[in-house]
Amino acid sequence: MSSVPAMRRNFLKRCAAAGLGLSAPIGLRPWATSAAADTEDLPGYDGPYYVVLNASGGWDTTALMDPKGIGGINRLYEQGDICTHGNHTFAPTAKHMTAGLSNEDFFHEFGNELLVFNGLDYSVNNHAPCSRYMATGKLDSLAYPTFAALVAACKAPTCPLAFLTFGNYSATGNLVAMSRVPYLPSLKRVANADAIDGNDAAPYHDPFALRAIEETLAEHQRFQAAQPLLPRRARAESMLYAAQVNSKALARITPHIPKDSPKQRLAQQAEIALASFKAGVCVSANLSIGQFDSHANNDADQMKLIPEFLEGIATLLHRAEELQIREKLVVIAQSEMGRTPDYNSGNGKDHWSIGSIMFLGPGITGNRVIGKTDERQFAKPFDPQTLSTTETEGIRVRPEHVHDALRRLAGIANHPHSETFALGIPPAEQLLGLWG
Amino acid sequence: MPRLSIHFSRAWICWAALGCTVVLSGVSASEPVPCDQAAVYREAWIKVFERSCLTCHRRGGDAEESGFCLADVSHLPAASREAALGANAELIRTLANNDSSDSRPLFLAKATGGDNHGGGAILAPDSAAYRVLESLVGMLRTPSGNSLHTTALANGLREDLDDAFLQGVVMISDQGLLRRATLSLAGRLPTEHERTRVEAKGLEGVREVLDGVMQEDAFYARLREAFNDIFLTLGIDGNADATVLSYEHFEKTRLWYQQHDLSQIEDEKERQQAGYKLANDYRAALLDEPMRLIEHIVREDRPFSEILTADYIMVSPYTARGYGVFDELKDQFASVDDPFAYVPVKLKALVGRNRLEDQDSATGFYPHAGLLSTFQYLSRYPTTETNRNRLRARMYYQHFLGVDVLEMADRVSDAAAVTAAYEIPTMQAAECVVCHRTLDPVAGLFQEYWRFDANFAIYGKRKEGWFLDMFPAGFEGEALPDSERWRALQWLGEQTVHDPRFAVAMTEHAYAMLTGRRPLLPPGDIDDPLYAARYRAFRFQRAEMEAIAARFAANGFHFKALLTDLVASELYRADALSPAPLPPERLAELDDLGVVRLLSPEQLERKITAIFGKSWGKLSEQTAILYGGIDSKEVTERASDPSGAMGSLQRSMANDVACRNVALDFSRPPSQRRLFPTIEPDVLPGASSEADEQVRAAIVFLHQQLLGRDDAIHSEEVDRTFRLFASIVEAAHEQGQIDPRETWACRQGLEREVDDPHYTVRGWRGVVTYLLRRQEFLYE
Repeated sequence: MSSVPAMRRNFLKRCAAAGLGLSAPIGLRPWATSAAADTEDLPGYDGPYYVVLNASGGWDTTALMDPKGIGGINRLYEQGDICTHGNHTFAPTAKHMTAGLSNEDFFHEFGNELLVFNGLDYSVNNHAPCSRYMATGKLDSLAYPTFAALVAACKAPTCPLAFLTFGNYSATGNLVAMSRVPYLPSLKRVANADAIDGNDAAPYHDPFALRAIEETLAEHQRFQAAQPLLPRRARAESMLYAAQVNSKALARITPHIPKDSPKQRLAQQAEIALASFKAGVCVSANLSIGQFDSHANNDADQMKLIPEFLEGIATLLHRAEELQIREKLVVIAQSEMGRTPDYNSGNGKDHWSIGSIMFLGPGITGNRVIGKTDERQFAKPFDPQTLSTTETEGIRVRPEHVHDALRRLAGIANHPHSETFALGIPPAEQLLGLWG
Repeated sequence: MPRLSIHFSRAWICWAALGCTVVLSGVSASEPVPCDQAAVYREAWIKVFERSCLTCHRRGGDAEESGFCLADVSHLPAASREAALGANAELIRTLANNDSSDSRPLFLAKATGGDNHGGGAILAPDSAAYRVLESLVGMLRTPSGNSLHTTALANGLREDLDDAFLQGVVMISDQGLLRRATLSLAGRLPTEHERTRVEAKGLEGVREVLDGVMQEDAFYARLREAFNDIFLTLGIDGNADATVLSYEHFEKTRLWYQQHDLSQIEDEKERQQAGYKLANDYRAALLDEPMRLIEHIVREDRPFSEILTADYIMVSPYTARGYGVFDELKDQFASVDDPFAYVPVKLKALVGRNRLEDQDSATGFYPHAGLLSTFQYLSRYPTTETNRNRLRARMYYQHFLGVDVLEMADRVSDAAAVTAAYEIPTMQAAECVVCHRTLDPVAGLFQEYWRFDANFAIYGKRKEGWFLDMFPAGFEGEALPDSERWRALQWLGEQTVHDPRFAVAMTEHAYAMLTGRRPLLPPGDIDDPLYAARYRAFRFQRAEMEAIAARFAANGFHFKALLTDLVASELYRADALSPAPLPPERLAELDDLGVVRLLSPEQLERKITAIFGKSWGKLSEQTAILYGGIDSKEVTERASDPSGAMGSLQRSMANDVACRNVALDFSRPPSQRRLFPTIEPDVLPGASSEADEQVRAAIVFLHQQLLGRDDAIHSEEVDRTFRLFASIVEAAHEQGQIDPRETWACRQGLEREVDDPHYTVRGWRGVVTYLLRRQEFLYE
């Protein structure tokens, strides 16, 4: 029978041959040679880590990073109340919220690292297509992977929780498996599958027996790869084998699982993602909280949800700091649409196809605001070369422009997976200077 | 017919060059169509007219009256399609010769937003689709193109999908099919009697066996589970006694359990627990009503169209109390204490606390329209003041006609400007009208259900009357007659079941039940080098689905027959490839073929129960979500590929199930064993050739039981498992001292003590662990 490293090499070759993209991830250590050592020495991914935070339902950007104090666009404040920090301008919320983190505190703490893009054009204004568009950069295809899935597939698809998702649009393009871990205790359940009740002192099998089982599975996998299987079957065989073999690395999560689970929605998700990052078993996570769809009582709803959302981002960054992975964390905060510049009869705001997005992390120069909306919340034409807005001529910056730039930030723009799911941005429209 | 056969060959070569094939069957010998011209027409139809033009330029579409109204063949019964294809081709040929006001070919001008095209720019001049359209217009403006017979041109859309598409694909054996279907539909293995029947009668035998399988309760549990995956009605927020039964109309009855007499239970704590159970069962029974309606329709062999036309709902003794109809129904229940025994009932029209909230009804009864009018469906898909029932309309289209209305929406050059530029964008802006003209009339049919807090009320009319700034209530161009307003959802149901898309949509639901995935959509990227292959795969599957749907409709919407038809279809039976290297185009064509479905947590538990006699019992609640399950609320899509967390659970399951069952099986008399009826732990590999043959026979049996494989005793598969068993036993002996007993945790609950001095019990446990981690066990 083959040795474990040989199993691993052969498996990766077969994955590549099957077009599954399960090629050797960047920065992985060699595999262990004995079953006993497996959990310690399985390869670990050590960053950067990508977190996409979704304000699901459509946030009111005028209550956050794109304030409008005129024309009755936002009833919470006047033009003179608008706050600034560095180059950022933002709506004042400290007086209007009861819990969470105010804009004032958020920009004060993170403004110097924060890049804001205003005047993003979602092109349509329905939840499902907008969510898909914002997540993938492609409006008219159901096949494209989300950025979080794509970056996981490009960087370390063999990580057992390479792409974590807690909701929102999460398509993977069949490149990588999607993982849902609903609660922190769930992580404990999967951490040591080869021991009775997860107790290391009580393994199900003696080490030599477990090794024989693993080697026979590898041999079977090799045999299957040589068979004329239907493509679905071949894919299933490979993904199943990868899932089981790579899952052993989950044992490394245990020390990073906090004893107590936080109560806040985003903080719960953040803890799971961070423990997985820290353990080297995860590349990207899609975090999400909903109820932003404020068709009635917009101001009350947004003043509850935006502070909760910002508090979630802050918690994520603070905990990452404690775990010493903050400098490797790329954060993207977005929503699938904005809200109308006027209020409806129920004091709500309906869907608006212009919005904003925020970024923070390694490779991103902060204290910058790029793009603009006008006094009626329409996007201003944009010059991608100078990154400035114009009065008449320019492009409309859409999600595919942002995704194109994100792919370059992550260093995956030329990866075969990115080419398979091409965005087709002409060179003249690429936002080459976006990250500073 | 010699000339015709020559023509076939030419067509084949031509289409093969394009990565697709066509057979111009039915073409008169006097009307040959040059294959390149047919190819150009076909490509333009697929990549431009069907994808882009048909959204508006069809009956009921925004451009219905533009003079360019194509027939949407998918809406038509098969008998009408021939003529429609010809009419489309004739219209396209005629208009291709027309010019715009600025003397450009009309099609090209309109497509790029010129000549006052109501839909604006649809194609960019530098796009692949534009070039395709340009080729067609050029071709149809040549003398030979312009003189093409339109029937022959339309025949260019035909494809030879039946024979060539499945070339080299191996179908599963009849016995394999039997196992796959019984596990899928009833969560059990086939009986010996059933296997014998299939041995004798082949595929017909499978059909006969399935008739019996679909009488079993386990089948109905699976049916309910599968349809909840689609309708998600179990995912209603809050307590069902409040959100399904509203305060306005069921104020006095919905909380009946709070007054229910439990005084016969003397112990206070027990009484309290019984009260909790009563409430929980009542709520669960309420949530289950829509799926019980589907069960009733199928169990009683009623037309499946009743999913939209049933003039009744299903109630149990518990839920009947909530509706206030228990007294009139109690004699119909076999047991008034069974919360989950349902009977059909027609409710009386709703009576509000306030007369203004009374329900309009010409008959005095609630206008039931199958699932559509249930409070569960209405409260799972609620409306808001600004949404105006559009969510309900969208879900109706998706659930009952298989149409994702939002996919009709295309990119808008400046959606915000459009929204701001029109007083009523949804009725005036072409970009908005494209969806809203379809969606809003159906939203209007829900207008009697205009309340926003289900706890307070679901039924209720808008005081000011329905919105005038929406397209009026109706369906696909047919206005709702005023006399039908009180029963608008019934009217909608009646219209829907006559739409050919209904039968196709239900066939797609059945397909999802069997395979765990939705059918293919047309490929999106026309620049994809594998576009032709992907489109062909889509067309093959679509043609199969439509043919099955047509039989389903002709058969009176008999759902069990539909399932049997699908099981017997090549879509479900495709299993492997005959050995031959395949080019990427062919692999792309076959990419979605075959069932190959990762079992859901529920299915995996049922399979473990079927094989081992008891479930694992751990794939529930949070662990089920971790294993890719759904909660019908936030998580509504099942995972199709295993993540690392799922891989870990698979390892855990394999270890634990083997641990619980191997020694236990050996502790039983051989005649009662499920895993090892022909071997004992004292048979050692390598001891003798007889012993080895015995071990191999035991492995063959395990492969059959656990994996559904029929392996020969000296096959490579059996060799591999044999080596595993032998290597574990050998390695144990090499350790020197071995514990003569199984691991403590794995020898609990045995029927008699089982020693393991030779390590064979643990060796077999290793074998079972290995097999439980295999794809054949974890997938369907």
